[in-house]
Amino acid sequence: MRERRRDPRHRGAAVTGLGVVSPHGVGAEPFWKMTADGTSSLTRLGRDGCENYPLKVAGEVRGFDPAALIEETYLVQTDRFTHFALTAAQLALDDARWGPADAASPYSVGVVTAAGSGGGEFGQRELQNLWGQGPRHVGPYQSIAWFYAASTGQISIRNDFKGPCGVVAGDEAGGLDALAHAARTVRRGTDTVVVGATEAPLAPYSIVCQLGYPELSRSGDPGGAYRPFTSAACGFAPAEGGAVLLLEEERTARERGAEVRATVAGHGATFTGASRWAESRAGLARAITTALAEADCRPEEVDVVFADALGVPEADRAEALALADALGPHARRVPVTAPKTGTGRAYCAAPVLDAATAVLAMEHGLVPPTPNVLDICHDLALVTGRAHPAELRTALILSRGLMGLNSALVLRRSAASSSHRRSTLV
Amino acid sequence: MTRRRVAVSGIGVVAPGGIGAGQFWDLLSQGRTATRRISLFDPEGLRSQIAAECDFDPAAHGLDAGTVEQCDRYIQFARVAAAEAVRDAGLDPAREDPWRVGATLGTAVGGTTRLEHDYVLVSERGSRWDVDDRRAGPALHRAFAPSTLASSVAEQFGVHGPVQTVSTGCTSGLDAVGYAYHTVAEGRADVCVAGAADSPISPITMACFDAIKATSPNNDDPAHASRPFDADRNGFVMGEGAAVLVLEDLEHARARGAEVYCEIGGYATFGNAHHMTGLTKEGLEMARAIDAALDQARLDGTAVDYVNAHGSGTLQNDRHETAAVKRSLGAHAYATPMSSIKSMVGHSLGAIGAIELVACVLALKHQVVPPTANYTTPDPECDLDYVPRTARERTLRTVLSVGSGFGGFQSAVVLTGTGTRGGRP
Amino acid sequence: MTDQITYQVTVADLAALMKRTAGVNVDPDDLGRQADDGFDTFGLDSLGLLGIVAELEKRHGRSLPEQAERCKTPAEFLALVNTSLQTGA
Repeated sequence: MRERRRDPRHRGAAVTGLGVVSPHGVGAEPFWKMTADGTSSLTRLGRDGCENYPLKVAGEVRGFDPAALIEETYLVQTDRFTHFALTAAQLALDDARWGPADAASPYSVGVVTAAGSGGGEFGQRELQNLWGQGPRHVGPYQSIAWFYAASTGQISIRNDFKGPCGVVAGDEAGGLDALAHAARTVRRGTDTVVVGATEAPLAPYSIVCQLGYPELSRSGDPGGAYRPFTSAACGFAPAEGGAVLLLEEERTARERGAEVRATVAGHGATFTGASRWAESRAGLARAITTALAEADCRPEEVDVVFADALGVPEADRAEALALADALGPHARRVPVTAPKTGTGRAYCAAPVLDAATAVLAMEHGLVPPTPNVLDICHDLALVTGRAHPAELRTALILSRGLMGLNSALVLRRSAASSSHRRSTLV
Repeated sequence: MTRRRVAVSGIGVVAPGGIGAGQFWDLLSQGRTATRRISLFDPEGLRSQIAAECDFDPAAHGLDAGTVEQCDRYIQFARVAAAEAVRDAGLDPAREDPWRVGATLGTAVGGTTRLEHDYVLVSERGSRWDVDDRRAGPALHRAFAPSTLASSVAEQFGVHGPVQTVSTGCTSGLDAVGYAYHTVAEGRADVCVAGAADSPISPITMACFDAIKATSPNNDDPAHASRPFDADRNGFVMGEGAAVLVLEDLEHARARGAEVYCEIGGYATFGNAHHMTGLTKEGLEMARAIDAALDQARLDGTAVDYVNAHGSGTLQNDRHETAAVKRSLGAHAYATPMSSIKSMVGHSLGAIGAIELVACVLALKHQVVPPTANYTTPDPECDLDYVPRTARERTLRTVLSVGSGFGGFQSAVVLTGTGTRGGRP
Repeated sequence: MTDQITYQVTVADLAALMKRTAGVNVDPDDLGRQADDGFDTFGLDSLGLLGIVAELEKRHGRSLPEQAERCKTPAEFLALVNTSLQTGA
């Protein structure tokens, strides 16, 4: 509500830092460059032991050196998904120029992550130790590396963050739910929340687990494996990596001189059943309407939509119709994009990466394109080919999960924020 | 932020030795233990070979073959507990606006049991890294995705509102109820099916707790192995199960003429930022969670009539928790009964927080404090009233439940009310 | 066999185990010189020590006493482990 925002007691959640570890690279800058260029980082799956599965194309994070930022004591006791999370969290803190001295108390900083696949590679290694050699060969870190809470716990410990700590073990939409959870945590009184999601589902057993998803693309062509909204849509390509954002209470952030890059303005979440894609139309529309209402935002104010873009024809149709249901005639005009076709879908991390991309897009005044997608068969202004310049103040981010969750998040560029970054890149 | 009052209008539970709230309360109020030698698999070779298991026949609880095939054991537990809770609340999901009903379920290790079962097949008993996908079972992907839990419970009732799976290790159950409480209190749903489930009694989970010697090796005497707060305690005993509470906007409950058990007075969680498995001596972070939860309920420590402890029975946990409760309740801690039902139903990881909240609701209902079974020898560093072995009648209005989880999570939930399901709480 | 403890597990072995199982980088000479300092001063936590005990148990094919994982210093740990390995041989 506008009145609420004028209320001096209202605590807004501002994005002040971005940390990205993605198939496009490590760090927000290389990620944005590749995203704005419309480059695809999808490749033939090359991980050890993963060569002979029906899944052929994925978004792998290559050349990642966790030791560049994170101490070895943390690395030995954690899975790759937590290596990503610790790194992305540090990058987000650095990006926000946030240091321990900025915390009023350890209790004023919380950590929230979403996790949809856990420490699969670590877990597979220990399962192999157990079943191949016996129980005494299971190491002491299995108890803290495999479970979904590993990243929140380790980020909290490494940085001495004692505020509210949470974990949403959602499916894809859980990434947006985590952002909303963090924003509400700020609203309830915590100054700062480190929030995000990272996934590392590209180990052999994790891949075998995903093969049961009927939505998974089995194409062997990196250019054709993930083409949502086209007549050639054949499912989605999975990915690893993710993003972490630093959320701070808006006034507290300004007081320490941080740049408020966007605010989390609204969120809506619904459920319409696992793989019931036709029904997701109503669910997604309702989530959008709820998020816009919370943001006190009229449909015409939405400047860009980051689509869920599952790549399953029935689901793509439902999403296009949901946008029409929720935004009315504006749905045909508003630029829609799905840059995740260039990275693949990293489960819970996919919409968090989209949120990071939305912040960058608003700063650069540029809607990034949807790689590998040209011939749209839906009534949407999908941005393809090259980036589309536009004044962007409000971004709508959509996500749906394979288990039936639908979520929508509204990010707004702060009225006071400058657009100085626009000239620096692209 | 304005908050609506949130009531508990229904409960359901699947616990070792007690499937259904009636059986469960019989076990607790009689101080019986459900711990035994593991029968779900052959535990030979493990350090800890004991657990509290559910004698659970899915068909007897109305689960059809398709559901059993699709749903892991922990989800089967959750569905049975949820059905009981919704029935108990007198809630007809078909009469509710489905967009205003949510579900929030917690789990620590999710589909581990099936993940391990299928792993053994595809890896040919751990003999290959490039596991063979052709040997995988048809529901493996559902075990891989932790959101299957909340999704499955939501589908059971045609829920269309916010649905979340929470996974904060051993505080998952308390946190799931806490998140659901926020969902209803802040107006995102009028009703939320909230709870947690875990079925961790499998070789990999037992072996990983063996590796850090967190579980009790009292294999010769399983019935007395879980000994929270006792000087001779030597680790927790694994458990399994699920519990579900129906949380409801109090006005909504009144409008449909429902009787409620109690209200959620407050919920808070903090991280200890100390160690993934270790706890501090002082318990500052848990004390802070207790203080914050009480503060939301506009109560101070002296209002607490009963503390339902995490009481896992590890050396450090029970001292940590005793210190935290003393810090928050002050001298009143010595006059307040504090017991651990893990002495009877074991420690079902993420599920236990919800199971313990159901125990708290039942304690309020019956005005009886469940005991800490097996407690015989005091530990000088654990010097509170742990309600040894025998349940105790007591006037209860305010009940506190606390939990600690791997990852440093410290959570607290306050329940308030007379527990008579009559008038308003 | 003499009455002297034969050091089957040396300071250098311990330093290597700390590195391998817990990611703790410590120079063997420093570890030897500061063998009475707490493991925590080197950054080794309780899980790390449990991992080292498990590794030694596998390597030597036998159990070590429960006190091993509760040792506070490298000196205490090496004395206990080597005594145990020798007397239990």
